[in-house]
Amino acid sequence: MIQFKNFSASFGGRKILQELTFSLPANSITSIIGASGSGKTTLLRALCRMNDRIENFRVGGSILVDGMDVCRPDTDVYALRRKVGLIFQKPCVFPKSIIDNVVFGIREKITKKDYPDLAEKVLREVFLWEEVKDRLEEKATTLSQGQQQRLTLARTLAVEPEVLLMDEPTSSLDPKSTAAIEKLVQSLKNRHTILWVTHQHDQAQSIADRVLVIEKGQVLPLSAPIVRLVKPFTKAG
Amino acid sequence: MNAITAEKMVLALIGGVTFLIVALLFSILGVMLAKGLPAMHSGFLFDASRDFGRSGGIFYQLTGTLMLMAVAVLWSLPVALGSVLFQTEYLGAGKFKNLLTQLTYILNATPTILFGLVGYIFFGVYLDAGVSWVTGSLILAVMILPTLQVSIREAVEALPEKYRETGMALGLSRPTQIWRIILPQSFYGMVTGVLLGLARAAGETAAIMFTATTFSGIQFPQLFSDPVPTLQTHILVLAQEAANPESIAQAWGAGLVLLGLVFLLTLAAWAFRTRMVMESEL
Ligand SMILES: Nc1ncnc2c1ncn2[C@@H]1O[C@H](COP(=O)(O)OP(=O)(O)OP(=O)(O)O)[C@@H](O)[C@H]1O
Ligand SMILES: [Mg+2]
Repeated sequence: MIQFKNFSASFGGRKILQELTFSLPANSITSIIGASGSGKTTLLRALCRMNDRIENFRVGGSILVDGMDVCRPDTDVYALRRKVGLIFQKPCVFPKSIIDNVVFGIREKITKKDYPDLAEKVLREVFLWEEVKDRLEEKATTLSQGQQQRLTLARTLAVEPEVLLMDEPTSSLDPKSTAAIEKLVQSLKNRHTILWVTHQHDQAQSIADRVLVIEKGQVLPLSAPIVRLVKPFTKAG
Repeated sequence: MNAITAEKMVLALIGGVTFLIVALLFSILGVMLAKGLPAMHSGFLFDASRDFGRSGGIFYQLTGTLMLMAVAVLWSLPVALGSVLFQTEYLGAGKFKNLLTQLTYILNATPTILFGLVGYIFFGVYLDAGVSWVTGSLILAVMILPTLQVSIREAVEALPEKYRETGMALGLSRPTQIWRIILPQSFYGMVTGVLLGLARAAGETAAIMFTATTFSGIQFPQLFSDPVPTLQTHILVLAQEAANPESIAQAWGAGLVLLGLVFLLTLAAWAFRTRMVMESEL
């Protein structure tokens, strides 16, 4: 369960998100749609404190994950990021072997002999196992974009996050890989709380249990502003 | 005059300047080879010098130089690496970080004799450490610190931000992040930095002359407080005996060896840099 309470975010005085109050139920898929630049990525990154290195980023209000406010300065950000996994828009694999990539996030926590079992488990979860089981030692950079995106998902799942934040995970993929990821997310929702950001309206409606719209710094349920959303740039400003 | 003639003239000018530089380089190399090669007898590199350097080899001068350089890098590397990681990983982008960056560029452009002087006053006079290889290596370390710092920082900053972000998003702690992502991904850049630092250390002479080296009578330092013979001092002292053709020949020989050393280090640095570019294109 994730709750935003009067949450605001700004870059150097420029307000991107304003006084958001809404919550995401556990074990379901919530989709957030919004035009480019509306603050979708900012919302996700704030949720796992990825903007800590950006000097002029400021937040107000609170975001509660399991009742804990992640915005507090004394939050254990490393534990938070393991609990709230972020999948980027563009898959980024390390120039290492496929198996090294899969275990990258938890190498310190398990022993080397557990790598193969863990890798098989998470690679099966993302439907990649059959495609890569004979080439686990090959460089991950030799995989296709769609395979790489599923690999990054497997790498995040290996850390066992409760929440998955997906930032337009299919925007650089072809329809077949997109379908594979959409199907995969359905299979993950009974154990994870998923927040899926996209600007494709129909994708949001087909995969999500609930669709939210982000516009002018506000988050609203889909029903009312649908017309405005479909053509966000028709009115200037 | 139309654009094409203008372009041709500029090209000719650039070509001319390039030719001049290359010609200068080759003439220096040519002179060094012509004058230095006759001194190269079979034992030149591995024999001790005899008769105040007029005959024999340069073994202890060579080992002394290598030792000073290596120890200087040993002092300098942890400081350079530490300050780079502090700057890039622990300081957020901001005015303070920019200030530090500018400062290291200024330090890098400072004439090294000034470092030598300050080092000499601090170690040699204030701490009264006297002439010893430890003092010399410390001063050399201070001199090459900016070179090391700048090239290591450039290697670390060349690392694509997405790797850092990916590590962060997986919940890696900062030390793990440094150990598993920053250091391995910028390894070749760091080696390049170290090699350039070494090459620079080999070129720095003036300051260690007063603090670390003696001309003769010493072989390999036994104590921390012992001075050490170096190629640079050897060349300087021999070259001053202009009346003695044997000394001059030996000086040219030692000069050629020193040049070869710097050349090798630069070549290796270049090879590693090429390697680094290939790595980052993966
Ligand atoms: N590091 C930053 N510094 C300053 N402004 C930023 C920074 N990152 C994002 N912004 C601004 O915040 C606003 C929201 O950006 P964000 O990336 O969240 O949009 P988005 O909804 O994810 O867009 P897209 O669909 O194009 O990915 C934009 O106006 C952007 O310029
Ligand atoms: Mg975005």
